[in-house]
Amino acid sequence: MLELKSISKSFPGVRALENISLRFEPGEIHALVGENGAGKSTLIKIITGIYQPDEGEIFFDNERLNFRNYHDSLAKGIDIVNQEIQVIPDSTIAENIMLDKMITVGGTGIIKWKAVNSVAKRYLDMVGMTLSPNTVTRELSAAQKQLVQIAKALAANARVLLLDEPTSSLTGHEAGNLFRILRELKSKGVTIIFVSHKFEEVFAICDKVSVLRDGRHVGTKQIAELNTPELIRMMIGRDVTQEHLGKLDVDRGHEVLRVDHAVRKGRANDVSFSLYEGEILGFYGLVGAGRTELARIIIGEDKLDSGALFIRGIPARINSVGGALYRHRIGYVTENRKEEGLLLQSPVCTNVTITVWPLIRNTWTRLISRTKEVSITRGMMEAMNIRTTGPNQTTGDLSGGNQQKICISKWLAADCDILIVDEPTVGVDIGAKEQIHQLIWDLAKKQRKAVILISSDMPEIIRVASRILVFKDHRIVGEIPDVDSSNRTYGEVSGKIGQFLH
Amino acid sequence: MEAQEMETSPAVKNGDRRELLSGRTIGLIISAVVLFSILAWQSNSFLSGYTMFVVSRQVSFYVLIALSQAFCLVIGQMSLAIGAIGSITTVVLGICLDNLGLSPWLAVPVAIGVGIIAGGINGLLITRLKIDSFIITLSMMFIYMGLRSGISGGSPYKVPESFSFIGQKSVFGVPFVFIITILFLIAVGYMYRNTVLGRRMLATGGNAAAARLSGINTDGMVVAAHILSGAFASLAAVLWASKLGSAAPETGDDWLIISFAVAIIGGTGLNGGIISALGIFMGAAIFMLIKHGLVEVKANPYYANSFLGMLILVAIVVDRVREIYSEKKRTR
Repeated sequence: MLELKSISKSFPGVRALENISLRFEPGEIHALVGENGAGKSTLIKIITGIYQPDEGEIFFDNERLNFRNYHDSLAKGIDIVNQEIQVIPDSTIAENIMLDKMITVGGTGIIKWKAVNSVAKRYLDMVGMTLSPNTVTRELSAAQKQLVQIAKALAANARVLLLDEPTSSLTGHEAGNLFRILRELKSKGVTIIFVSHKFEEVFAICDKVSVLRDGRHVGTKQIAELNTPELIRMMIGRDVTQEHLGKLDVDRGHEVLRVDHAVRKGRANDVSFSLYEGEILGFYGLVGAGRTELARIIIGEDKLDSGALFIRGIPARINSVGGALYRHRIGYVTENRKEEGLLLQSPVCTNVTITVWPLIRNTWTRLISRTKEVSITRGMMEAMNIRTTGPNQTTGDLSGGNQQKICISKWLAADCDILIVDEPTVGVDIGAKEQIHQLIWDLAKKQRKAVILISSDMPEIIRVASRILVFKDHRIVGEIPDVDSSNRTYGEVSGKIGQFLH
Repeated sequence: MEAQEMETSPAVKNGDRRELLSGRTIGLIISAVVLFSILAWQSNSFLSGYTMFVVSRQVSFYVLIALSQAFCLVIGQMSLAIGAIGSITTVVLGICLDNLGLSPWLAVPVAIGVGIIAGGINGLLITRLKIDSFIITLSMMFIYMGLRSGISGGSPYKVPESFSFIGQKSVFGVPFVFIITILFLIAVGYMYRNTVLGRRMLATGGNAAAARLSGINTDGMVVAAHILSGAFASLAAVLWASKLGSAAPETGDDWLIISFAVAIIGGTGLNGGIISALGIFMGAAIFMLIKHGLVEVKANPYYANSFLGMLILVAIVVDRVREIYSEKKRTR
């Protein structure tokens, strides 16, 4: 049994954890949930020895632990499977699993590959992988790499396994497979600590859930005693509705974008659809189903092999994001805001006005007008409720929700009226998530923008979109109209999506 | 850090105003002043008009060479070819002035054109072939070095008296080279702060994917940066020939290390997106003062490079410590 007693941890200016006491029993799957910044990551890092608590103690089977680093925790059988999948890509599966326990010829340092591979194979069997231990890890899918990590933890004789957002890069099927393995591990007496943002998963697989909010332990409950609204209330301290935001006024007479038999090898397989003014068109599907791929074709990041694009009825050939932006007023909010969306080391105003620099130059000097830059940024900060200390704050210091709003605002600054928003609420707090949903809805309803909302989050897409296209294997497999109609129920729409995907 | 400094304007009100000078640049200024004071106090001749003339002119060359490198560093790349571009420029300049007897008014634009073309070739090869700037500029460096030796045979070209005027004369004791350099330096500072081109190059260096997905032609920015780099390498070479009073083919042979050293000490980010014009000036001044100081204390010149190497190392270590400190402050 792993027991935390009165753990506290501070960083300069932040009280990250305040008097946390938790117990994790053998053979249980224990969910750890909370908004971003609630202290989950800090707690995980303390359990795995990466951070040391300022106050409090950790006991494992009544032995007091005093970890100085991650290796100490590994030695006690506490291991973590990360969000960022940590395998050595150019090594084989067996090398990854057996890295620190290679079998050698009488301690000479000469490796007995047969023995190593056969031991690795045993652990691969445990996680249900049929691949050869000789496979190079680079060739594996994200799900397979994760299983390799788990196999490695098992090989290290892990008795406590921490999983930090393990399904963020997995398809539904792969996640199901992972859960089956976790249940098996649980029956063998392994303690599993499961950190996730996805409530369905928490309810599907966990036995207990502990909630953190603002660095404090709000409570621990048996899953059987809880439902989703109660869990959300524990996490954010108030109620959140799941109802649709309201009927949109889609103008079917104003087609702003039409994609006609778009084909791109391995990305789009004969895709056709139309987008109308005032509409929020949802693209639902799993990661890799062809939604982002299609968006990148529309904005000119990728080419078409055949097929055509029409913008406001006119055939368009878009070769670059600049072309999409300045000629057709199409904006694309990327799915990875840190990697592809923002200049993290630059101030907020740079990120908001990056799309309009050529338009805010002084007529005579041709220099960018600092005054206009600041006023545009302030306008956006106010309109979108972006919380910063000012236009000059470093973008990387903001919360995920505020960063996402900045990603959206740069396209609004450039007056885009077609907006493609890709997974806008990944890694965003529930509070900010609601605000972003409302914001997207307002863009369509009040500013008459045409929006494509790409999302793998079913509640999100059903709550915000007015029509949903379901993607699978790079094609559209179904369309659900009038999602925003008041006589549609959540169950009905989600049921239809499920049917299309089967 | 410097990138934020660039965006700062006195027009910004509220409590969010950033310091006009970042802590790093202030540190450089203090170091330069301390070094200057020590030299002025310890040496009788340091403050003389002649020494000041020589020192300020040498600092100018360091600034131009460092800028040539910094243009590439800002977009997250590098150029190993700047010395070789300077060298081939010198040869072309020499042929124009000596063999063809062209007027300097014609020869200088031709020479600068050589740098623009060479930089453009670098940029186009990097973007079209999608090959690392290190490999491309390494290859081009050797190509140009071979060309200059082959064409010139190693012997210097004569230049007319009228051409040497700019490099050797001064106004009120301030070398013309220094004045020209400061004007260009201010222009570069303005470019990164206030022009679309400069901002877009900074954005490309800060995060190329995000810049491209925000509508910036990032390949174009890479080519532009290398063209600027080549142009400044050629400018430095032309002024150097003017200073020497002859076009010496070995010009540029020692630029590579100087360009990195001054740019790095001056706070140019090695991963792109960060530059400070004032920082580069201070970097050049510190570099010069230390070199001069080593001569004053009669340090064995055979060890000079070791001191300069240590100087670069100290600059990088200081930056790294600052980075770790600010990350610690940020993460929770």
